[in-house]
Amino acid sequence: MPMTPFFNPTGFLTEGIYTLVILVFCLLVYFKTKEIYDLTKHNGIKYFRYAFLFFGLAYASRLILYIMMISNRIFFDEFMPRRATMPLSNLFVAYFSTLAILYMTYSSIWKKIESEHFLTFSNIVAMIVAAMAFIFRSPFLVSLIQLLLLIVTVIVGVKTYSNHKKKTKIRALYFLIAGFWLINLLFLEPGRFLPFEFKVGFQIISLFVFIAIYYKISKWVK
Amino acid sequence: MNKKRDRLGVIFDILKIIRDHHNSIKPTPLLRYSNLSSASFSEYYAELDAKGFVKEITDRKGKKYITLTDKGFTYLEKYKTILGFIEEFEL
Repeated sequence: MPMTPFFNPTGFLTEGIYTLVILVFCLLVYFKTKEIYDLTKHNGIKYFRYAFLFFGLAYASRLILYIMMISNRIFFDEFMPRRATMPLSNLFVAYFSTLAILYMTYSSIWKKIESEHFLTFSNIVAMIVAAMAFIFRSPFLVSLIQLLLLIVTVIVGVKTYSNHKKKTKIRALYFLIAGFWLINLLFLEPGRFLPFEFKVGFQIISLFVFIAIYYKISKWVK
Repeated sequence: MNKKRDRLGVIFDILKIIRDHHNSIKPTPLLRYSNLSSASFSEYYAELDAKGFVKEITDRKGKKYITLTDKGFTYLEKYKTILGFIEEFEL
């Protein structure tokens, strides 16, 4: 039987603040880019905005899943059975994060691989990953599938832009955002205890990546 | 230059022509200055109209003029920002 992580108030607070800050930055990216999207209806901007919206929702669902995992079983069962709600939160985490990774990748390759069916395709993939998360109830499995997905998208991205003359650091930031998300999911795996300091350090670095993206955006969009 | 950038550029050019003609130009000169084929111009004009960047006004003699809306002016103002943003984020 998997071990349920013990309740640690400091850990819970850190997790809550971390999620809230990331959620705020994701929503800021989404709303700050609204005007330029409304003016242009540019597909790249559309997918970019949605990627951040989905990342925000994924982090919010992840916090709910975390709360489910650390909550007292009796407390939860009084209101709603935890056995039912936990896989449900897992499902949302998997669905939103898969969409976020796919949209982020597609935002920068859509010109090379223009597909009218991208929306359908990405939703089907996200639903498959979500169904697996629901059935197997393992954040580890979700992160493993998403890692494969990330590797495939990185290969497609590199192949698509192998002859691209201008190289910027933005792709590295995209990759870091997706990579940090995967490691974040691993933290949720029951029985996986990592030193608190390590986790906090990791979360701070992860926050800096989101702040860096937001800073770059605010240079263009006031 | 990619197709999308061209499209944004063409829209900018058309709006700029209107603005540079004291925000009032007849459709025929606009077509001529835009250096587009008649079919392409119609397509772009329909898009500009649908997006609310331009509007048609008719004077007392019944002649049609095209003018920019506030949204059209905003697009002109933000064009460089839009291009910079797309380039910075490789979108």
